[in-house]
Amino acid sequence: MSSRLRRVLHIDLAEKESRVDERPELFDTYLGGAGVASKLLEEECPPRVDPFSPESPVIFAVGPFTGLLPSMVKTVAMFKSPLTGNLGESHCGGHFATALRFAGFGALVVKGAADGPSLVLIEDSEVRVKAASSLWGLSPLQVEKSLRSADQEGMESVASIGIAGENGVYYSGLIADRYHHFGRLGLGAVMGAKKLKAIRIHGTGEVALERPTEFKEFYEQIHRRIVQTEEMRKYHDLGTPINVMMLNELGALPTKNFTQPRFERAEGISGERFLETLLERKISCPGCPVGCIHLGGLRTSFSPEHELGRREAFEELELVPYNYEPIFALGSNLEIGDASSVLRLIAQCERLGMDAIMTGSVLAWLTEAVEKGLIPRQEIGELEPRWGDAPTYSKIMENIALTKNQFYKRLALGTAAAAEKYGGKDFAVSIGKNSPAGYATGYGFVVGTLVGARHSHLSNMGYSIDQKAVKSNLSLEQIVEKIADEEDWLYVYYSLVGCYFARGVYDEETIVKALALIGLPKAGGSLRGLGNEIFQRLYRFKVREGFNLGKEEIPKRMTEIETPYGRLDQGKLREMVQHYIRLRERQGLRLRREDEALTELLSPTAKT
Amino acid sequence: MRFHIEVEHPERCIGCYSCLYACSRHLYSVVDPTRVAVFVRVNKSLENPFNIIACRFCAAPECALACPQGALETLPEGGVTLTPSKCAGCKNFDCIEACMLGALVLDRRARIPVICDRCGDCAKFCPHDIFRYEEMKT
Repeated sequence: MSSRLRRVLHIDLAEKESRVDERPELFDTYLGGAGVASKLLEEECPPRVDPFSPESPVIFAVGPFTGLLPSMVKTVAMFKSPLTGNLGESHCGGHFATALRFAGFGALVVKGAADGPSLVLIEDSEVRVKAASSLWGLSPLQVEKSLRSADQEGMESVASIGIAGENGVYYSGLIADRYHHFGRLGLGAVMGAKKLKAIRIHGTGEVALERPTEFKEFYEQIHRRIVQTEEMRKYHDLGTPINVMMLNELGALPTKNFTQPRFERAEGISGERFLETLLERKISCPGCPVGCIHLGGLRTSFSPEHELGRREAFEELELVPYNYEPIFALGSNLEIGDASSVLRLIAQCERLGMDAIMTGSVLAWLTEAVEKGLIPRQEIGELEPRWGDAPTYSKIMENIALTKNQFYKRLALGTAAAAEKYGGKDFAVSIGKNSPAGYATGYGFVVGTLVGARHSHLSNMGYSIDQKAVKSNLSLEQIVEKIADEEDWLYVYYSLVGCYFARGVYDEETIVKALALIGLPKAGGSLRGLGNEIFQRLYRFKVREGFNLGKEEIPKRMTEIETPYGRLDQGKLREMVQHYIRLRERQGLRLRREDEALTELLSPTAKT
Repeated sequence: MRFHIEVEHPERCIGCYSCLYACSRHLYSVVDPTRVAVFVRVNKSLENPFNIIACRFCAAPECALACPQGALETLPEGGVTLTPSKCAGCKNFDCIEACMLGALVLDRRARIPVICDRCGDCAKFCPHDIFRYEEMKT
């Protein structure tokens, strides 16, 4: 087997058929991951398609270093997002990437819809679509336990949606290998509409090394940098929850639906507290020696009559992955100040298969909307949300996942859609219809999230640029330029597909060297050009599907919270977006929908 | 000079597979999760701790005793050495079945068992010092 990626597996759920396309040029040009997925999305997704229709594709892609280099462990998923109505892009760790690659594939495209609950089984080149009613309604955790083999050679991955995905919750995800998530932008609902409950991949192939001696030396250097230097210490010690106290001290920890930048009880949900009181184990993605996945132990007594003196002997222990974003979203932003309550809400997201950041955003908006009397009493019923009341939030989450009635169906569409119906847009913390991550760091964060192709803090590191900008007095224009540069570069990295946490280890020089070692020589400059090309392709998709950056609004709440810059000015935010639009237009990108509309009108194939 | 490798702390495993990847890089200059002499075993669900398995270098190894061709020979310091020419043609692979620990697998491409050559790369790349790797006393 060659060392390079070349095969795309296509599965049609309706026909229960699959085929393999040999596309070496696709992978040689676009590397893999986001680059290859963006091209496949362009090829496979019909314009203005309903994300829940059979024609709407689900695409997964791995990178040229998957299985080869440390921390190159992620898979990129692309699809049309029901939440934003445009680009769905989500990245996931776990065993998915290695299993797909060792099964012999660089990418997987799933189309069509099954006629009943189904499961896709990939055993190297053998692909089957199986009816799987018995899995419907199970949590992704039960599915993982049920489908994973007892002991098997090679790499195996089990990914499953939860009931939120089955019921079309716009922010439901796909959970891979128990602890890893394609969490954002609604992949779970897209799979649910296809009646595709789970995917199991088992790969036993190999990847050859073109220049083994040099490659081994290179591997060792990277491994040393990751394991022995300070560069990645934060990820294996406290993990990302180290941010709770750091951001609280900085005055950038969003609290109580982004009304305050500090949380009085931050210590109770700090990384330190989680480590001292809840951490049971840490695990890694295959191919990464860091071990950033922190698992907290949730103990629940299952039978009161068995509590004979030693209560802990009769408790079930559930391991729940935690990191910073869910702690902010289901902790400080809901004024929940104790780690175990936060862990319980995270566990609820895991069971139901819902994105924790959007879930927290919906609950925070709902709490404030109820306080302000915007929601009719009969709609709320018994479950009145109150700041800090974790048990009630947990029940509301379940009702959302079950889309129990019209009220919860509306909440299942996300914060912006809920405010559209009930009012309270000013405090509906939603940017580009996605819920922002937990950084009240200022202009870079807000603008970065808005302009980012997938409206994520990981799109372009706006939150991190803020922290530098405040210290070194960067102008707002400079922040915008850095955001654009970062996003282009990250699309190179997301094509490889590296873990975001290791982005510092894989600088441009290192990546150029690594590509040469697998026989894919690229010059540094051409890589940046490639990143820009991928970004532009994704934005063309967004604009085609109706996204108009110039008309996107930034909720008032983002300008009411104190940040390290003070309160943000709506006018300046707008100027930054305009500056960004001009900058991207100079690069040849059309960002204005008016242009698109005109082109469509003049085109002879225009739909009437 | 011979080295000894012992899986000393399997409970420390985080499932990073660095040992396994290193092993296939060393033995075959590829990355192949099936052609290895060290194994990261997933116990049905990732909820359960991983187990790490590697050759114990038995003094009277059952794998060698089971080989009808004399292809596997016991080394004086324990463990086995393989003569591939004697092994070729075997269809039963009794050696694989004989190891109750499951530390021996078949290289499905060459149709011969994968033998640990005690290079120590598994220990070198393990971030949690699961392996003890030391020079053997004579």
